[in-house]
Amino acid sequence: MRLLLYSLLGLSFLGAARGEDTVNWEMTPRVAGPGQPFRIQIRVTSESTLHTPKSVAKELKPPRGMALSFSGQAYVSANESILNFSGVAPTTEGVFIIPSFPLRFAARIITVPDMPVHVSRATGYQPEAQARAELQLSERTYYVGELIAGTIQFRNSSNETVVATYGFEAEAEGFAFQIASDRAAPAADNEAGLQTSFELTPIRAGESEISLRGIMLVQTGNRPVFNNAGRDRPFALRRRLTVEHVPERGRPADWSGAIGSFTAESVSISNEKPEVGEPISLRAVLTGTGNLDRIITPELSGGDIWDVLPIVERRRKADEQRIFTYTLVPRLPGKQRTPLIRFSSFDPTTKQFQRLEFAAQEVTVTGNAPAKVDLITADPGAPAAPGTRPIIVSGLATPTPSAGSFLAPSRGPVAPLAASVSFWSLNALALLGLLLTSAVILTGGYLATHPEIIRRWRARRQLDRCLAGATTAQRQADTTRQARWILEGLRTGCAALLGAETAAMTQSDFQRILPAAPRPLLDQLTLTAEGEKFGAKAGPTAALDAAALPLLRDLRRRL
Amino acid sequence: MRSLFLSMLWVSAAWAAAETPSPAEVAYAKGTYAEAAEQWREEISQAGATAPLLAALGNAEWKLGRKGRAMICWERALLLNPYDPVAAAGLRHAQNAGGVERPASSWYEDYARPIGANAWLLLAVGAAWTGLLCLLLPRLRRQPAGEWNQRMRMGAVTVLALCIPGLWGAYTHAQRSVVRRTEVSLRLTPTTLGEPMIGVAEGDVVRAGRGFNGHIRVTTAAGKVGWVRVGEIEPVATGGLPMDLDSKGAP
Repeated sequence: MRLLLYSLLGLSFLGAARGEDTVNWEMTPRVAGPGQPFRIQIRVTSESTLHTPKSVAKELKPPRGMALSFSGQAYVSANESILNFSGVAPTTEGVFIIPSFPLRFAARIITVPDMPVHVSRATGYQPEAQARAELQLSERTYYVGELIAGTIQFRNSSNETVVATYGFEAEAEGFAFQIASDRAAPAADNEAGLQTSFELTPIRAGESEISLRGIMLVQTGNRPVFNNAGRDRPFALRRRLTVEHVPERGRPADWSGAIGSFTAESVSISNEKPEVGEPISLRAVLTGTGNLDRIITPELSGGDIWDVLPIVERRRKADEQRIFTYTLVPRLPGKQRTPLIRFSSFDPTTKQFQRLEFAAQEVTVTGNAPAKVDLITADPGAPAAPGTRPIIVSGLATPTPSAGSFLAPSRGPVAPLAASVSFWSLNALALLGLLLTSAVILTGGYLATHPEIIRRWRARRQLDRCLAGATTAQRQADTTRQARWILEGLRTGCAALLGAETAAMTQSDFQRILPAAPRPLLDQLTLTAEGEKFGAKAGPTAALDAAALPLLRDLRRRL
Repeated sequence: MRSLFLSMLWVSAAWAAAETPSPAEVAYAKGTYAEAAEQWREEISQAGATAPLLAALGNAEWKLGRKGRAMICWERALLLNPYDPVAAAGLRHAQNAGGVERPASSWYEDYARPIGANAWLLLAVGAAWTGLLCLLLPRLRRQPAGEWNQRMRMGAVTVLALCIPGLWGAYTHAQRSVVRRTEVSLRLTPTTLGEPMIGVAEGDVVRAGRGFNGHIRVTTAAGKVGWVRVGEIEPVATGGLPMDLDSKGAP
């Protein structure tokens, strides 16, 4: 029983064990030159049954600058598969890693490991020796809305001929991409190969990259294309483009998106002698290179002479022409000129705006003018006279530039008064003068009714002078001069406070203002200052020194 | 008798000279509007702008298909003389036949129109001065205000109060601007890449508000509020000739 159990366990292990998958790859040549075509062969061996892998091309993520495509599968056996890839090495030297990718077989998913591709100039490979693809796109700054014409040139070599291309893919973020012609003969007679032309229109400003990929079928020697020697060769072209908006500086008002180099080729009319009301056709042909399709048809102003009917559009892209056709209906008879067709364009090569103008054509209109019924209104300037019919004129009144009125004189600069600086300056000056005058008058009046203000102010100034004089005299020990200064100060201060004359002040008046002043001190002060006049003797001066000056200071405080 | 005859002759000659149409008027009558416009522009540059001259220039510009210039001329003519018949007719014609949109007048703009902005300003300033002097003079003379002083004071205050809506109406009327460029978009924000909301056509009159970041906030006749670039509109109140946008924009 135990033996049976071990046997079953062993069988189950054997059943669970799976064979290992083997992936080998080989690149020919082992080291590629810049831009040199190469082939990679991947051999997959598995114990499971291998069939055709799915979505190999989608899983391939070649490195930047390298073109790589899945060429096909060579069947060997049920457990072995050989996958062929063809590619073109980048144009720069280095080691480029083709990242690992899965091969999705029906029963298994087998992962192909990273594959390094060595690119070196030491191989001596000459790009001209083999057929190749080249991108022809001028190197300059492009503008939003511009039509950029580009070409992919498929060039033959001495031994290889490009006979076809297929699988063309374009990634152009920020551009509108359109193929103009595919697999056409080169424009120059002396060039061999094929060319694919395309048109790009930038739709936003900034730096963007366009990437163009595809496969070209190359025939080697004189062998037929669809034999073993006929080889598919991928190509991958990239270009970084700088796109800007058309500059706003100097942009004319009537510029409507035309970018390129244009010429006003011709302008013609269908009938040079129409009758009034007879439609004629005005045809203007614009030629040049640029975004002809994006040009908005210029608007025509017919004025009072022409009615402009809706425009008929004709575009002849093959001839690089744009035809503007207008239908004009003359309103008035006589020699008239058709309206001017004007529009502006931006030349990306010179980076300048240019204005194009189709010349006006002379037309002789016969017949009579119809009555103006659509734009007729009453003349606003006509006098209102009852019983008379109003004068009928067009919507615009007849100008009378020499007329004048009370508010608007006939001649001379008339500007809004509110904008006049002199008006406001004059008013401001007058207001300032009035306020100053008022202030002066009011202040003077107040002072006139209160004369004691000026009297006391003057007394204060005099008292300050007396104090200074008395102090100086005290320093010089001149008692008589000190007493005179103090007496003068007392008289001035007391007179201002009493409203009396200065010369009339006596010791009693001093005591009315300064009740604390001792009478003997005042008497001594008077004797010292003015005793000589009356032959009296001065008393001791010590007390004068100590108490007289504080009296003056007290009086100064009271003023 | 002889002197009387000579005087009559001189008056009749002066009258005839005054009635002789100018070369610009002759050119306008002949239909050569470009020449007429050129001569009127020259006349305005030399002698100054008047309402009749601006209105005549507006007519010539309209005939030449320059809607924006014509509207500016007519609006400025009405600013100088609200009763100018040519400018009024031109504006009416532009609105009816030309498809130009113009904001409806508010009640204070209608109130302000009869005597014009200058007259309102003179009235208001006169009333203010009268009131101020009536207030100050009795104080300066230190006498009580007399009966006539009281009456004048009340009259001045009344006139000043009546002038306020007139001044405001004249101010808002002068805030109008004319769209000078074709294909102008009213933007949602005052930025270069601001989202365009609606288009305003050349010659349309808008009310201009504050400016910001090279743009001006405007209100259209339909009441839409948005921003336009500074150079796309021209204010009416600046006076004089319309801006010459063609020569500046030419490459």
